[in-house]
Amino acid sequence: MKVKIKFGDVLVILAVILSSAIIAMSMHQEDSEQRVAVISQNNAEIGRIYLDKYQEPYTIPYSGQYPGIIEVNNGKVRFKEAQCPDQVCVHTGWIEKPGEIAVCLPSGIIIKIEGYNQSDVDIIVR
Amino acid sequence: MKKLTLNSILISLAVVLSFIERLIPLNLIVPMPGIKLGFANIVTMFALFCVDIPSAIIITILRCILSSLLFGGMTSLLYSLSGAFLALIAMILLKLGYNKVFTLLGISIGGAAAHNIGQILMASIMMKNFAIFAYLPILLLASLVTGLITAIIASGVIGIFEKNKGFI
Repeated sequence: MKVKIKFGDVLVILAVILSSAIIAMSMHQEDSEQRVAVISQNNAEIGRIYLDKYQEPYTIPYSGQYPGIIEVNNGKVRFKEAQCPDQVCVHTGWIEKPGEIAVCLPSGIIIKIEGYNQSDVDIIVR
Repeated sequence: MKKLTLNSILISLAVVLSFIERLIPLNLIVPMPGIKLGFANIVTMFALFCVDIPSAIIITILRCILSSLLFGGMTSLLYSLSGAFLALIAMILLKLGYNKVFTLLGISIGGAAAHNIGQILMASIMMKNFAIFAYLPILLLASLVTGLITAIIASGVIGIFEKNKGFI
């Protein structure tokens, strides 16, 4: 099979590569010491975990049409188990770097890692 | 009448391809919502090039409804419609320059990229959260590969159809 290529095809390919690079750069976040995992369900924040504060593993259950369990361990976070049909969230595995996300579309849950500076936090309740 | 039969065959072919695609566990390799090979797009391209634009639109809408009813649900209908429709619009526009500026490769990649953009847009609207755009760069790069695969298959199928046009 011979696939011929024309000028416009190269333009399409370049446009796709370029736009993915631009989006990736605009979403990029600097690696920072302090990280927080923001868990939201349909844009309502349901949890905020300061990843560097906890060394002991623990889990956070969430409810909804497709409930599941989020696990935090060793500064990383993941969907441990979920009732959703596609299991994409569970296969995503651990995330830990600022800017990384894990998503469960059926349940509407997004876990997003954000970096922050110590000065951004007013009080830390221990 | 002949067109009705052809369109019906194409719709069922697209539904079958969507089913086969689901058997390939692509999201074990690339765990990302919405990633797939886009085999059904081969049928859309065929309809676009060998039948006509209205048929391509009807086939796209009906195969989305059918495969969502069979394998997905209401939410998957919204996702597949938004992706498939944006892909269709992109391919109709790129087709204007077919043989002059673009080959099937550019049209197919353009369609695959538009499909991913449509799904991410729908996902961010549904979840009311734009964080999911973080997936778009990788999905766009993946569309180069999936677009190439569909282009190779589609150009083979369309070539055979053109050669035997008198017999079909």
